[in-house]
Amino acid sequence: MRWDWHDRLHLLGLVVVVAAMAWLLLAGAPGDSGARQASGIERAMERELAYQARAAFLQQIYGPVEELRRQGQAQQALLMLEQLNRNYAGEAHGYILKGLILHEQGVLEEAVASFVQGLRLNGDYVDQRSPLSERARIQNAVDEGLTTLGARARANPDNLSVAAALRNVYYLQSRLAGGCE
Amino acid sequence: MNEILPVRRGAWLRFLFPMMTLVLAVVLGGCEKAPSGPVYRIGYMNCNSEAETMHRFLPLTRYLEKELGVRFEAIPVDTQDFVERYEQGEFDFTHTNAILYVILKEEQNLELLATEKRGQYGSRTAGALVVRRDSDIQTLEDVRGKRLIFGPQLALQGYAAQYDLLLKAGIDPELDLAYYAIPHGSFKHEKVIYGAWFGAYDVAAAPVLDLEVMIAEGKIEADDFRVLAQSEVMPYCTFGAAPRVDPKLVDRFRQALLKLKPEDTVEMDGERIKVLNAALIDGFEQLLDSDYDINRDLLRRVNMPPYQEF
Repeated sequence: MRWDWHDRLHLLGLVVVVAAMAWLLLAGAPGDSGARQASGIERAMERELAYQARAAFLQQIYGPVEELRRQGQAQQALLMLEQLNRNYAGEAHGYILKGLILHEQGVLEEAVASFVQGLRLNGDYVDQRSPLSERARIQNAVDEGLTTLGARARANPDNLSVAAALRNVYYLQSRLAGGCE
Repeated sequence: MNEILPVRRGAWLRFLFPMMTLVLAVVLGGCEKAPSGPVYRIGYMNCNSEAETMHRFLPLTRYLEKELGVRFEAIPVDTQDFVERYEQGEFDFTHTNAILYVILKEEQNLELLATEKRGQYGSRTAGALVVRRDSDIQTLEDVRGKRLIFGPQLALQGYAAQYDLLLKAGIDPELDLAYYAIPHGSFKHEKVIYGAWFGAYDVAAAPVLDLEVMIAEGKIEADDFRVLAQSEVMPYCTFGAAPRVDPKLVDRFRQALLKLKPEDTVEMDGERIKVLNAALIDGFEQLLDSDYDINRDLLRRVNMPPYQEF
């Protein structure tokens, strides 16, 4: 078989590309395990920084709501949340805060529904290690829901709305137990 | 030749007839069937105005027709006329506020179907007494001798709840205020809130839901007002059925409401419209009649229908 000038040109191009890729691999990869470890730490730090920045941002945005809640002005806090929703609709932190306030007001079904919406967006709120964790309060809502909504569902087995509310409680229970979506 | 021709013509017809039948079936199957039979009348209590009521509830009425396969007529009704027109047998189904539901339940045995969900408290909301942020009024006690604006008299969370809050605080609205007023015309709840905002009144009796909606729409800011006092949360607007309506139809009506999802649409005037979005509703909930006992207790305390005593 004979190689004409066209085949030779392709072969040369192929060799150049393979050489370039090999060089990139060697030059781009860390030279030893120490460098690899350093890169890993860097990534972990970046993740941590991003997490801290998010927590600080949420504190800044939702701080006034938290403050009103601490002062016992639950309705004013809910109205402030409504205003924040104009810019941050669908933020998990807003749903969790709303759930906490509604639960404190005794509006259990809506509180549970709000926790569900928040946790579907971000599971950090039931993670014990997370600074955002509201695990204990969500557990309280679940305990109360199992008792009161459970009794209501048993007394009204054909009521679809009560059944839906109880399903929300079960969902929270599963997330607290470590279940995933 | 003469013997063959009739056979050919018959074969052609035998092919054409099933094909035409198939085409007709496909065409008819693609059309939405118009319901037939008696017309059931749904009385919709005007929330803000007749035009708004029809804009909100016509798509829902078309959805119910489609789901149940029966004809419905949507009728906007003034709140003050509702009970009398219901008593005259004008409506088979009702959509009213929670006071009218209690009146019709107690006096006409109206059956509870479903309660609409809207806002932060779902199927419930509260009544609040609010003042401008810069007001000198800090507590309910400070309301004595001030100007107050209530919502319409048959509004549970716009009138009765706040009347009750004042009575509980030892303030008789009939004796202890400088004066109180009730706005005229449409969009009364918004007028109440703007009445305090523009300083015409010192205190406003606002349903929490209306505050939420006005904030969400950017009409007011959350910290424009301070909440002086707030009632418990109580069931809100409610669908009911007259006891004469076939129980099977009533049950199907309820199921159709409960299964409504935000993505459900109807075709109206050449447009595809989202039913819940048009109705300004988040969904429906199946409450129990006993959930309305909190409303009943409140109405008894403020001496309002159906428990009014003279």
